[in-house]
Amino acid sequence: MNMSFQEKSLWLVFLSVLAFSAFYFALALPGAGPNVMPGQVALFVAAIVVLVVAQVAGHIVIAITDRRTGTDERDGRIALKGTRNGAYVLATGVFLALCAGLVTEGNFVFTHVLFGSWVLAQLVETGSQLWMYRRGV
Amino acid sequence: MGKRTGVLTNDLRGLRAGHGEMTQQELADLVGVTRQTVNAIEGNKYSPSLEVAFRIARVFGVPMERVFGYVEE
Repeated sequence: MNMSFQEKSLWLVFLSVLAFSAFYFALALPGAGPNVMPGQVALFVAAIVVLVVAQVAGHIVIAITDRRTGTDERDGRIALKGTRNGAYVLATGVFLALCAGLVTEGNFVFTHVLFGSWVLAQLVETGSQLWMYRRGV
Repeated sequence: MGKRTGVLTNDLRGLRAGHGEMTQQELADLVGVTRQTVNAIEGNKYSPSLEVAFRIARVFGVPMERVFGYVEE
């Protein structure tokens, strides 16, 4: 499959966020109490560091193997539409997190609904952009 | 009033063939877009801006109606 730099970059972000969130939630959710514990904060920070390092390293590799990093109006339009799609999800998630914060005890549910919404928004944003690159915009 | 929809068609492939088998990359470089965008326009997966449409027509030295058409669905 012949992919542009932007598509490769989106796949990198999509897959790394998916792996990062799966790793974090698989370890943080089992046996969770009403509040976020220090161990979960440390796990979150470690996962963020790994995510950032993986994305920076991945983008360096992509840039080395594909010199055509320029963008045009189509890339801009796809980015705008993808961001709009992600924003809908994030706004809904923030509302749900506020509702969850009102009806549940402690801060664990609130923070994790909020964080989960951000992850889902990222996946919808990048996923819809990848869809538009292949299926049209 | 209902929204009227249609499809933007084009003859980019024919025009490229008629200009010494110009490649998508060559056309993209002349127009100032990426090769993927030329490919998307050619496959009716992307409707370019008016500015890019005019630049494409200018590359081939033809009126825009010779490059693009519009078919109502």
